[in-house]
Amino acid sequence: MNSKPSRIDTGIGVSFIASAVIHLAVFLLWVWWGQLYSPQMAIQETYYVDVVNLPVVDPLSGSSAQKPGDAESAPTPAQAPPMVEPSPSRPAPKVGTKFIKPAAPQESAESESAFAERMAKIERNSENRREEAVLEKLRSKVKAGGSPKTGAPGADGTESGSRYGDFVKSRLEDALKVTSYSTTRNPEVAVRLTISGDGKLLRMKIERSSGDAAFELAVRRAIDLASDKFTAPPNHAVFENGFLFKPKGISNGVSR
Amino acid sequence: MAIILGAGIIVKLVMLLLLSFSVVSWGIILFKFFQVQRAKNESERFMDFFWKSKRFDAIASQVDRFANSPLTVLFNEGYNELKKVVETDSKSDGSALSTDLGGVENVSRALRRATNSEITRLEKYLTFLATTGSTSPFIGLFGTVWGIMTAFEGIGKTGSASLAVVAPGIAEALIATAIGLVAAIPAVMAYNHFQHKIRVLINEMDSFTTEFLNIVQRNIAGK
Repeated sequence: MNSKPSRIDTGIGVSFIASAVIHLAVFLLWVWWGQLYSPQMAIQETYYVDVVNLPVVDPLSGSSAQKPGDAESAPTPAQAPPMVEPSPSRPAPKVGTKFIKPAAPQESAESESAFAERMAKIERNSENRREEAVLEKLRSKVKAGGSPKTGAPGADGTESGSRYGDFVKSRLEDALKVTSYSTTRNPEVAVRLTISGDGKLLRMKIERSSGDAAFELAVRRAIDLASDKFTAPPNHAVFENGFLFKPKGISNGVSR
Repeated sequence: MAIILGAGIIVKLVMLLLLSFSVVSWGIILFKFFQVQRAKNESERFMDFFWKSKRFDAIASQVDRFANSPLTVLFNEGYNELKKVVETDSKSDGSALSTDLGGVENVSRALRRATNSEITRLEKYLTFLATTGSTSPFIGLFGTVWGIMTAFEGIGKTGSASLAVVAPGIAEALIATAIGLVAAIPAVMAYNHFQHKIRVLINEMDSFTTEFLNIVQRNIAGK
């Protein structure tokens, strides 16, 4: 009787080992590929200078150019009056020009005292205006029923929450620059944002819209993008404010 | 890599299960590929050799050269049964083969039995490929659903629905479905491919059985 032919089928175990090796190789290739071509961020990271926590320029300390109550002009460097003096390397002016006259020592002393007097007057005026503006803001806040307890970090406590609103507004403006897109001419979207005590965006409500869906989407994306940058409001109190979005910029304090 | 390590324990278990499915199914695919390929090639060579040879005993002596062909198994079974029939008839009345065709029936049954055993051998492990192909996407989907549930729980706890919070959880969850599909697609393709190849081999075995029985019957009738 003939015996059965002897087969040379490769054992299934060898195939399993080969399969495991293939899987391991594919996995390592995948890891290597991921390290080689890590996914790029779609939007570049924006670095901010936290203007809220920066020390506020005291008008008494020197800037005559700074206008009180003007938040955007606060970091403007002080303009020193001696800048009008001619530099030594400058060529001498023509005779008869009024540009710079060589002053006599007595005249110079007089002009210095006049200048100091003028500066003191300007400072007094600016101080008065600043106090008046602060008082006006407080009055309007109390009238509107706002809580005077909410103060901005680094502020003197008299400007209730308005600086955090500016901070949020600046983040939103930066984000809107990235996402802005509209299909109508002058779209507007009024949004009310509620930010929790730990800086998380709790609620976003579109209160009014001009009907431009593309701009609405851009606003939503801008808020989503900016919400990562929010910090905790002053005293960890819930912050709520309305913002009016336009393609050219954002204004805060939109009423209901 | 971080997308796998960052997933929850259930999603990790699902991924591990799918990975093991993939490893086993690829092992079967490799094994079956070589098995079917050898069976096909050696069957072709055996059929050439079979038709060129004039005598069964000459073929039987060379059958080891085509050991991986299912046709050689059929031939061996048929030849052994034929020899038994011849030996029995020789003992009973001294003639070479009885003419009542009873011996042909025996050979036919032996060939049918050998065919069935070869079909079973060739189709072995294919059910696992079918199971992997049909269940892996669902297992992966389960992992994804579980991962998304966990991600939504996280969103509820943090209170933020920003893309930065939502996206990583969903990405980690979706990797389970991706792995399920990676395991299932080759398994289904390989299953269909091997089914076709095995059907061809079964047809060849049927044809060979018919030819073998014809030869045996011609020889018996010619005695």
